[in-house]
Amino acid sequence: MQTTVASEYSNEIHSVPIEHRFNPYSDNGGTVLGIAGEDFAVLAGDTRQVEGYSIQSRYEPKIFDVGDNIVMTANGFAADGVALIDKFRQQLKWYKFDNFGGKLEIKSAARYIQHLLYGKRFFPYYVSTLIAGLDEEGKGAVYSYDPVGSYEREQCRAGGAAASLIMPFLDNQVNFKNQFIPGTDGKEKKPLKYLTLEEVIELVRDAFSSATERHIYVGDGLEIKIVTKDGVRTEYYPLKRD
Amino acid sequence: MAGLNFENYQRNSYLSTKGFATPRATSTGTTIVGCKFPGGVVIAADTRATSGPIVADKNCEKLHRLAPKIWCAGAGTAADTEMVTQLIASNLELHALSQNREPRVITALTMLKQHLFKYQGHLGAYLICAGVDPTGAHLLSVQAHGSTDIGKYQSLGSGSLAAMAVLETNFREDLTKEEAIKLCADAIEAGIWNDLGSGSNVDVCVMEVGKDAELYRNYLTPNVRSQKARSYKFAPGTTAILRESVRDILDVEETVVSFDQMEVDTEA
Amino acid sequence: MSDPFSINGGSAVAMVGKDCIAIASDLRLGNQSLGVSNNFEKIFGFGDKCFLGLTGLATDVLTLKETFRFKTNLYKLREERSIEPETLANLVSSTLYERRFGPYFVSPIVAGLGHKDNKPFICGFDSIGCIDFAKDFIVSGTASDQLYGMCESLYEPDLEPEQLFETISQALLNAVDRDALSGWGAVVYIVTKDKVVKRVLKTRQD
Repeated sequence: MQTTVASEYSNEIHSVPIEHRFNPYSDNGGTVLGIAGEDFAVLAGDTRQVEGYSIQSRYEPKIFDVGDNIVMTANGFAADGVALIDKFRQQLKWYKFDNFGGKLEIKSAARYIQHLLYGKRFFPYYVSTLIAGLDEEGKGAVYSYDPVGSYEREQCRAGGAAASLIMPFLDNQVNFKNQFIPGTDGKEKKPLKYLTLEEVIELVRDAFSSATERHIYVGDGLEIKIVTKDGVRTEYYPLKRD
Repeated sequence: MAGLNFENYQRNSYLSTKGFATPRATSTGTTIVGCKFPGGVVIAADTRATSGPIVADKNCEKLHRLAPKIWCAGAGTAADTEMVTQLIASNLELHALSQNREPRVITALTMLKQHLFKYQGHLGAYLICAGVDPTGAHLLSVQAHGSTDIGKYQSLGSGSLAAMAVLETNFREDLTKEEAIKLCADAIEAGIWNDLGSGSNVDVCVMEVGKDAELYRNYLTPNVRSQKARSYKFAPGTTAILRESVRDILDVEETVVSFDQMEVDTEA
Repeated sequence: MSDPFSINGGSAVAMVGKDCIAIASDLRLGNQSLGVSNNFEKIFGFGDKCFLGLTGLATDVLTLKETFRFKTNLYKLREERSIEPETLANLVSSTLYERRFGPYFVSPIVAGLGHKDNKPFICGFDSIGCIDFAKDFIVSGTASDQLYGMCESLYEPDLEPEQLFETISQALLNAVDRDALSGWGAVVYIVTKDKVVKRVLKTRQD
């Protein structure tokens, strides 16, 4: 084995032929985020879709009301995201035919999506998936997945391009991580509490406007779907377009 | 430049043969343009600097001064555009002093292209070079490998296609100074909105024959961040501390006291 | 993970407040995923009110720390005064660019107050010396993405020293907790015109 580099450029000559191969995946950017409250849950996502340095669309919604008071998003490779959500919607339809129109609980939907994702274990959907809704007790629920179906129920989760920018902010402002009660000498943590819907919307808007500032794949618009016992509601806020 | 040091090149290329990745430089995945008008020339740039998909600097300066009336806009590797521009600015001033003449745009361009050609494209500097000199107003560009172009309007960088679309549509031979500024700013804005590598503000520099060059830093600021929904001030004492140490900074005042003023105890 | 920038791990951040600056770093030194030291400071002082933060490959961090100690000592001998933050920034830039084709694997940050006018100054660099002048904050290291997210949302201009301490600490702490290669303790310097306060933070140890 060569242990030192020759002073001429012999080490820079490539003797192996270059291999070309079709890459079935691409990255369409975008960021999504879900937060669960006491009696509500929200799923938010920006509406920009990109490829490389170009904007494909400034308004391509990626949060969907899939029925039964469940909202869903699959962010990453847009084609896979759409395919996954279409497949889930179709299966939900069949479920209703088979069960006399009965409601699919969110925990059952969650487990079913795991099987949709793991079914393509060796040619995965290239997405980070989130669903949000209300559980059997009427409490807000957010479930998050990796591309091959590993999932977990959480209070909040960010996914997609700017997930790494938003997630620590959520830890700090939703779960009060690293915050202590002043005067307790770092002995008493700031107690957890459910945030109101107004507070959550404010956090979501600030999280996205911050991500827009620093991540080139995030921007144009912010669409938030809010799930309460009364159904699903949508809000839209503009984001910077540069 | 005192000369580059190649010692770590050996170490790093050894590292890369072992499968170590090579570093990611800040690149100005940029939009820069220039356009001439009767009696002068305008150049403009956006102000976003990126590192991969992350915006490293929201308001960087891509317009560099080579001489008082010769300016250049840079795209490509940010460090290279900055350093190559500083080097040529320095040499150009020495040249102007030794020749006792105002520096010429073609001189700057020749120095740039010879330097860049020497480095065979490894210095990733793509520049639009413009200015006024005793021979008139000029607009030129130079690529990393050392090739150069002349034109009445030009664009470079990742947003060059968006910008050129605007330039091709709206350029005329008989633009006024104000129209030329507007055209350049519009071209940069096309890059800002439609190219993800470009963003934030527009910087403009106008060079007119017989006048001082004018730099309009942040000529347009169409991307000011709006007020946040909440304030995130923390109550003092929120963060837990293990240890604290304080170092006071004192101003030392020195006074000279001559010997005859000094009280000396001679008794003991 | 054979990227030289993320073998040892570590992060740093600097912020500007009202007539003050803050600079902070974590204390971890690791070998890939194995933690080696919880006492590896990445912030170094040059003169009273001028600080340099170095993250990246630890061997280069130490080499550059000594290089800049040497260079600033010579500067002090020649000029009979401490180096200004702006001057240090240009020194760092040219030192890094000298190695254009064989860079040090570091991303430095500089923060300080002008020695005469006490004007706050911060800036950051890429590994080949491109300076990023910022008016608000600068981040670097393996948790830089997380730090960008935290700083962009928590920061506001003209914070008083005590407020600035809370903001920079919370930004750093929550950022490094989402990075496997940073953490294991943290240190914050708050620099005002008449004193430098250094605080060691209580952090997660995982």
